[in-house]
Amino acid sequence: MESSESGTLNGQRTEGNSGRAGAGAITVGQRVDRVSDTAQEAWSRTRETVSELKERLDIEGRVQRNPYGMVAAALGVGYLLGGGFFSPLTARLFRVALRIGVRVAAIPFLENEIRGFAEAVVTGSEGDEGDGEAASSGEGKRSQHKGTKGGKR
Amino acid sequence: MEMTEQFEKTARELEDRIRPQIEEAKKKVSDLNGRAVSYIKENPGKCLLGAIAAGYIIGRIASR
Repeated sequence: MESSESGTLNGQRTEGNSGRAGAGAITVGQRVDRVSDTAQEAWSRTRETVSELKERLDIEGRVQRNPYGMVAAALGVGYLLGGGFFSPLTARLFRVALRIGVRVAAIPFLENEIRGFAEAVVTGSEGDEGDGEAASSGEGKRSQHKGTKGGKR
Repeated sequence: MEMTEQFEKTARELEDRIRPQIEEAKKKVSDLNGRAVSYIKENPGKCLLGAIAAGYIIGRIASR
């Protein structure tokens, strides 16, 4: 640029050995230009990175899809940032959530078990009755006329 | 028999009286929910930052 002119640039001194304007000397203006170029480059890179991160995270899309969930997640992040993780309140909340979770998980399991047991009992007793009837068919209708259950004997 | 009929009548009257109020409350809650959702969708950044700030304050209070 104008740096080769007699060691000054817009009234600014050139850098070099005691003010001499050598071929390799860099003026203050050049240095400022270079710094501003670097800053611009860094800024554009930062913007690119931020926009890429935005695309990746898709926060707006997530908020559109699940607004309450995102707000709850943000509350949780703030709570953690506030140092509430290792606190008695968190421990209490965790205990309550665990208890509820265990109950919620255990109730369907117990319900299935009880239902299976009841079905097994019902089908077993029906099977017994069926077997009894088949076995007592040989006794004839005499016992039925008497009003007794032949299969139970 | 008469007592059962009387009881049924009272229950029906009570239901007739309460049902509109329940319906109105349901409508109000639904309306509020819709407004909250639309506000969050229109201002996601504000809502998320506000939620983070609220969570931070709650965390600070809880950690004391």
